[in-house]
Amino acid sequence: MSSYRIPVGPLHVALEEPMYFKVDVSGETVTAVEIVAGHAHRGIEYLVAKRNIHQNLVLTERVCSLCSNSHPFTYCMALEQIAGIVLPERAEYLRVIADEIKRIASNLFNVAITAHLVGFDTLFMQVMELREIMQDTKESIFGNRMDLGANRIGGVRYDLDADGRDYLAAQLRHVARELLEIRKIYEGDASFLRRTRGVGVLPAADAARLGLVGPVARASGIAADVRIKAPYAAYDRLAVEMQTGEDGDVWSRTLVRLREAGTAIAIIDQCLKDMPGGPVSIPSIPDIPAGEAIAKSEAPRGELIYYLRTDGSDKPERLKWRVPSFNNWSALPVMLKGARIADIALIVGSIDPCVSCTER
Amino acid sequence: MWYLPVLIRNLLKGPATEAFPFAEAWTPPRMRGRIAFDPGSCALCRVCARICPAGAIQFEKRPDGLEFNLWHNSCVFCGLCTIYCESEGLHAIPDWHLSHYQDEKFDLVERAVVRFEKCSGCGKQKMPAPLPLMRKLYPGVDAKEMERLRALCPQCRKAGEQKGETP
Repeated sequence: MSSYRIPVGPLHVALEEPMYFKVDVSGETVTAVEIVAGHAHRGIEYLVAKRNIHQNLVLTERVCSLCSNSHPFTYCMALEQIAGIVLPERAEYLRVIADEIKRIASNLFNVAITAHLVGFDTLFMQVMELREIMQDTKESIFGNRMDLGANRIGGVRYDLDADGRDYLAAQLRHVARELLEIRKIYEGDASFLRRTRGVGVLPAADAARLGLVGPVARASGIAADVRIKAPYAAYDRLAVEMQTGEDGDVWSRTLVRLREAGTAIAIIDQCLKDMPGGPVSIPSIPDIPAGEAIAKSEAPRGELIYYLRTDGSDKPERLKWRVPSFNNWSALPVMLKGARIADIALIVGSIDPCVSCTER
Repeated sequence: MWYLPVLIRNLLKGPATEAFPFAEAWTPPRMRGRIAFDPGSCALCRVCARICPAGAIQFEKRPDGLEFNLWHNSCVFCGLCTIYCESEGLHAIPDWHLSHYQDEKFDLVERAVVRFEKCSGCGKQKMPAPLPLMRKLYPGVDAKEMERLRALCPQCRKAGEQKGETP
């Protein structure tokens, strides 16, 4: 059988984001893959050091659109750690609510893209319509469909009054109802199962060896979730269900994401029930002394780590982040080996890649 | 097979999309759109220009005050200025109709001159003291006393407090 090296990408591999794959194939089967990154580098780590800590709240939010809340959230946690700020309890709950709302929308987006990549575009449209409920919710509560602007140093920028709580609860009931229906399709539809089961398999041993995070690791049976292992904000007071899969294929990754959307709804419900009253933020704009801190959170794609060093001025001396997709890219050579050419885009899409986070 | 019930319901429900631009698009009241500036509530502290991540807010010197400029085409609609403005002079309003012709691109500016004032005590030039900010600084002060305080510069207010004047 003849061997070729075919280029996949850099434009529009699974999503619009650019990543370049040089794939060695033998007939229809992938034998090796080389990943070439760097097409979406915008120099944000440099820009961050040129702007003050307040401006960086907005800049970090614009690193990535799908996990846009996780970035300023983790950045704020690092700042608060340096300045020794204790958040009002209500603010911690409100931060969790904002983050989980984003998680539902982000996971539904990837699940929809998976349907699109297997050619099931009717389902893609249906899931995107379901996600639109979350988009409307975000726009109604926070004022924007993607960039929530929920965080500020020492608290949050929004509050939920009685009407807001009722509205959010009603929207979540609507999503939960349709989510159940969608899950049945993903679990049972024969054509979807044929395209995704046993495709792009990642054994648990490889997931552990490569240090994978988030739904990609959990779908291979690695029970790792920052919200449970190292709780932050209000997560130590909330019951978070660990969602794991067994097969480590595209199908289990999709199912883990769908189930995590359900878990997120359960978490928000608990928050709405348990959230105490009181202020949503510390009363004044704090001074940030010199120091360094590491903060981490569970973004929709996995563990997000922020390293921040300040020198007492209003500009950070160094801000560096390790995003979940950076780890998860290394799973692709394992997943793609032995796959068919037609499944390349599907497998790439199944790690929920975020190129703009990884290359910033 | 699994999809059939969804399909039938969708057929009965009709289109899920909005008819925009042929009909009004749904806009929630808290939508973070264009930033509106209220010159009467500006203390000229200029924190907005300092924290604007897009550099969309600039102050220009004028003979009798400072001119506030917010360039809508540079604005990223983050609303950070509305949070940091302690005197409540900046608000994000649910207006996103900002499309315009190319030759109007430099006209999309929120612009107003905020005048300096004269202190009724020492007569020196002072920054304005807008009511929302003064209410936070002097809670529980009656309207007449508030007007007197607002007309004074911070130094004269402080001097008055040391002399034992209310508040």
